[in-house]
Amino acid sequence: MRDRETGSWWQQVTGRAISGELAGSTLELMPNDELTFALWRSEVQQAHEKGLVLAPVAGHSEKDGKKDYDKKWEEETAKYPVPLTFPKQGLKDRDVVLGIHLGGQARAFPLDKVRAASPIQDKIAGVPVVLVTGPDGDSVRVFRSQWNGSDIELYQDTQKAASASDGKDTAEKGTDGKGADEKNPEWHLLDAQGNTWNFAGCATSGPAAGQCLEKINFLKDYWFDWKNYNPQTTVYSR
Amino acid sequence: MSEVTSETKTPADRGLWLLLALLLALCLSLFVIPAYIIRPFTHQSERGLSLAIAVKKIAPALSLASLAALLATAWVLWRRSSKWLRGALVTAVLLSGASALMVRQNYFEWMFNPIKSAGFVSPADAQLADKEMVMAVTIGPETRAYPIVQMAYHHILNDTVSGVPIVVTY
Repeated sequence: MRDRETGSWWQQVTGRAISGELAGSTLELMPNDELTFALWRSEVQQAHEKGLVLAPVAGHSEKDGKKDYDKKWEEETAKYPVPLTFPKQGLKDRDVVLGIHLGGQARAFPLDKVRAASPIQDKIAGVPVVLVTGPDGDSVRVFRSQWNGSDIELYQDTQKAASASDGKDTAEKGTDGKGADEKNPEWHLLDAQGNTWNFAGCATSGPAAGQCLEKINFLKDYWFDWKNYNPQTTVYSR
Repeated sequence: MSEVTSETKTPADRGLWLLLALLLALCLSLFVIPAYIIRPFTHQSERGLSLAIAVKKIAPALSLASLAALLATAWVLWRRSSKWLRGALVTAVLLSGASALMVRQNYFEWMFNPIKSAGFVSPADAQLADKEMVMAVTIGPETRAYPIVQMAYHHILNDTVSGVPIVVTY
């Protein structure tokens, strides 16, 4: 990326300026989520936030069937050669991983694994984390699984586990006009302390009611790219 | 007279032709070296990248200087050259000129289409399927959803959320 003011070059993945007047400085990473539109919309409604959606940019969609290009971006990208390859850690170049930095350590969680076994508990540099797939089966969030100073273990309500795996199929089909929470209103996680937690990481009942877990930023990335920027990364493999 | 216009060149002429070739090579490399190193879908080593950036820095001035020197050399050689060699001179000048133009362009940005005037709609008005993924950013009371179908095409968007300037990139 280049800024108009100084012409410095910024590395997209790290936010660090690598050349130009501002070389060496780093942009602050803003907390962000990658969610399905339905889930985002229902969370905005619940929180009474002022939500806006970026509108399709006029002009480009009509040109040369670029609308199709938008839709097929992932497929098209997969056809391009990868600049680097790191075959030794059991992952394919374009496998999607969730990369987490904590306490100077980097760890990659294969997205397929997270979706199949959510919630996943792990420790990175001694920090307990939980990776959770949301009620739509697509959206993923990561939290520090610590409350009141002690580690907690979150698990899927077994009664709801069946409907959550159904959710994966409905998310694939998609457009039935219902929000994710409407499809799966009871979705929550439990812990041994008697709390129920929603996908925003907040306790909806139990002794922690009203409190929220600390959200942890992660990067959804191709394996080859994550490994390139984090040569020392470990890979979650349980 | 026939001796001068013939293809047998004096040693001085040979020197000038060599100079011309070197100037052309210099001018072209100012464009080609960074373009080759930074080309998409390849890995750039730190050394390669710093070379490319260093070349890009000196390229605008140096390409003009070498273009001027090349023009002067071509001018001297012109009158003593046959039709074929004049063709070569014109080609050299055109190539150097094109190179001097290219080093002034951000040609890697041509393939991207930045969003210049972003428009936003309310969640109810958004024509977006439920399953579409969005990048969500919440700052203060405001929250934004940037559909990935848009961001994957445009790559970069500058926005302000609750007064905080952010850049969204995918």
